[in-house]
Amino acid sequence: MLLLLSAKVSAQQIDTAARDTSKSKKLKEVIVTATRSAKDLMTVPMPVSTINNKEIKNRGLVRLDEVLNEQTGLAVLPDAHGQGIQIQGFSPDYTMIMLDGLPIIGRTTGILDLTRITTNGIDRIEVVKGPVSSLYGSEAMAGVVNLISATPPLGFSSSFAARYGTNKNADLSLNAAYATPRLSVSGFINRNSSGGYSLVPGSGSPTVSPFHGYTVNGRITYKLTSNTDLRLLIRNYTNTSTNNYSVDSGQVAGKGTESNFSISPSITHRFSEKFTGELRLYRSTYQTTSLLNYTATNAVYDETYFNQAFNRAEIQSDYQIYSKLRLTSGVGGQYETVDATRYDTQQSFTSGYVYAQCDWTTFKKLNVIAGGRFDAHSVYRSQFSPKLAVSYQLSDKFVLLGSTGKGYKAPDFRQLYLNFTNAVVGYSVFGYEEAAAQVAKLQQQGQIQTILIDPNKLQPLNAESSTGYNLGYRYRPAKSLMWTANFFRNNIRDLIDAVPIAIKTNGQSVYSYFNIHSVYTQGAETDLSYNFLNHWILAGGYQYLQAYDNTVLDQIKAGQVYGTDEKTRETVKVTKSMYGGLLNRSKNMANARINYQDDKTGIIASVRAIYRGRYGFSDVDGNGIVNRDDEYVKGYVLFNASVSKLFYHNQIRFQLTGENLGDYKQPLTISNLPGRLLYAGFTYNFNKQ
Amino acid sequence: MNKLQTLALGLISSSVLLMSACSKNSDDATPVAATLKTNTVTDLDGSKGNVYYSLANNAAVTGADTTGTKWDIKFSGTSIFVNSGTSGTGTAQAQVVSSTFADLTAAPASGYKSDATGAAAITGWYTYTATTAPQHAILMVPGKIIVVKNSAGNYAKIEMKSYYKGNPDTTTPAFADLTTRPASRIYTFRFAYQSNGTTSLQ
Repeated sequence: MLLLLSAKVSAQQIDTAARDTSKSKKLKEVIVTATRSAKDLMTVPMPVSTINNKEIKNRGLVRLDEVLNEQTGLAVLPDAHGQGIQIQGFSPDYTMIMLDGLPIIGRTTGILDLTRITTNGIDRIEVVKGPVSSLYGSEAMAGVVNLISATPPLGFSSSFAARYGTNKNADLSLNAAYATPRLSVSGFINRNSSGGYSLVPGSGSPTVSPFHGYTVNGRITYKLTSNTDLRLLIRNYTNTSTNNYSVDSGQVAGKGTESNFSISPSITHRFSEKFTGELRLYRSTYQTTSLLNYTATNAVYDETYFNQAFNRAEIQSDYQIYSKLRLTSGVGGQYETVDATRYDTQQSFTSGYVYAQCDWTTFKKLNVIAGGRFDAHSVYRSQFSPKLAVSYQLSDKFVLLGSTGKGYKAPDFRQLYLNFTNAVVGYSVFGYEEAAAQVAKLQQQGQIQTILIDPNKLQPLNAESSTGYNLGYRYRPAKSLMWTANFFRNNIRDLIDAVPIAIKTNGQSVYSYFNIHSVYTQGAETDLSYNFLNHWILAGGYQYLQAYDNTVLDQIKAGQVYGTDEKTRETVKVTKSMYGGLLNRSKNMANARINYQDDKTGIIASVRAIYRGRYGFSDVDGNGIVNRDDEYVKGYVLFNASVSKLFYHNQIRFQLTGENLGDYKQPLTISNLPGRLLYAGFTYNFNKQ
Repeated sequence: MNKLQTLALGLISSSVLLMSACSKNSDDATPVAATLKTNTVTDLDGSKGNVYYSLANNAAVTGADTTGTKWDIKFSGTSIFVNSGTSGTGTAQAQVVSSTFADLTAAPASGYKSDATGAAAITGWYTYTATTAPQHAILMVPGKIIVVKNSAGNYAKIEMKSYYKGNPDTTTPAFADLTTRPASRIYTFRFAYQSNGTTSLQ
């Protein structure tokens, strides 16, 4: 039984201890994220993967970062603003994270912190690589991660799960559901907390502060008539962290809060066997607050807030013209607002979009998907994102895939409206829309020494965009063996960066945002999974990646880039082979795992090894690029393992989980490796399995 | 003789030819080299105020001479000024060229600037690290060669080496730690001065 690939659309249940049932394997594995409609995983013409709930539970994982970090080609990056995901060498800003097809909002400097997302209550996680802006618009440039929530089984069901261990990390979930053929009501409450940890104990500031967070989730579906379905999704997440930092002027302490509320009612109506329409409304709000007071005097050190709201209405229609041709199209409108310490006033965006996609199977074995999306926006230029994807079944066992498409990411509120001056150092950063007025204000105050770029003549900020190419295959020579490979290339244009536009009389710079960089990422990935002797699965994956800045490559070609030799400290010319490319990209990443499952004894175990090859971390010799060995973080391997024992008709599960068993740490460079983590887990299903 | 031996012999003889060709060239260059002097200045102390420097004399200039044309460049914190325009009464000019010190064998014919308000002739030779490690440090940008045409019309190339006392290795924890970092505004640099008025810098 291929655990890895056993995402079955109907095998959804909220239980946490049930074993895989061998009956369900006859059902086809499907994926919905790649095309916005259920499609066979074997023939969908884009690079996709799924991770199902059972596998997540068997591995003892509870948060999204833990799950994604074990997948081929995905890297969870440590950052002060949260743990984001890197796909095909793209920074976390360029991957859309969704829950049931709805984008999760709330990013800090572009990073959506995956640790805030529980994997409780989901059926599976779908990952699509390559641009999918043709369906989802902004942010879906590197790919999409979509969490699909579970549909409860008929009758009453409930379960309780707990995991506790190192650093007082605790995760508790209580799930309950009731379902009839017409009505289904399900919900859960999850509490996730940690005592935090400090990698540099003498520093007076913990690496991660103690926190506790709650996720409350509700889902109701109701069959109004045989052709009309109603659905309501509600989720609320709140998190409180207890901060205590050492700053230059003393010790400061206080609370930080984060909350994310979302609600989405929808109605689906089948007008005929061929035609289905869906109306979906979505509102999501994200708030953070932070207050730090001096421990000694109780005077305020820093107080900030951030409020964001996202509203969307969307209609989608599916028209099955005949069995081989399906047309999916939609139209929607969005209204977004943001209001924060670093913005002068509340800012808002209005946007509208239309998309259409044609899914056509011809000559029996050729599947062509062509589509595109047009986004019109109140502030930046309109975007058109086309997509073409083709799969060809050479046989039942071998499918060739090829796709190309355009992805984009809209300039965010920060790049447009930021008005920030660093109180300590004295530099300023202004968003594109603010720059002219703010620089004029500083000039009036006599704070500007030199204007470098006239802020009245700035080029309008354009969206960042990319063109992606993916070519690969899926090969299943036998039921027990699956081998996939994919080659990719992404040409990325108009990346936005801050550039000095003026120099202040205090010698510091004034920055604003520009479309400047052009980079590319390319590489290949492969996955292999083999199950043998009924109980065992052996699997592995590998990704090779190159990611370079085109401007730097041109400068190197022209012989204009220099570095300092590590040993002699002499100036040397940087050659292409010395250039390490973009920061935080590992050329080599790999993983391997072995799973064991015995239904008779109720023992489930797995051991996983995750390798992250060395990656550029900083510039040491002052040329702004990675070109020396001491500018890299060394490669490392993490060993994770888990073992479960099921009891009492599989209603009870005891589990031991270890993450980073080798206790690997790099305190100064890798902030998200606190060392070895050991957990004990317990799950109880209130109903018989 | 087999092919391998022929190849080896060919390689050896050609490298011998190359080597002799090289030594012949350096023989020819001898008379020019006499007017080009390369010096390394270690720990020029600018921590107590501006330091004026004469490249021709390879010495600091002090007292009344700092108002005249005897000095070529002036170190003032993270600024290096040339003796002209807003900085001095001389006619010295400068520009910054991307190259290694050795590879810059001739001064550019044009592109020199005098100092002006808010537009110094010499820029871009250092980087300020701000909050990235090592924090709040002034590091040299490699491959930035300052070319000066002094008031006498002679050319010189300068490579800045360090902003800190003792030209420390800036990658060490001792440098990263602000409490153990050596004193700043103490310059180490090397320069080559061509006294014959030509642009030759080799």
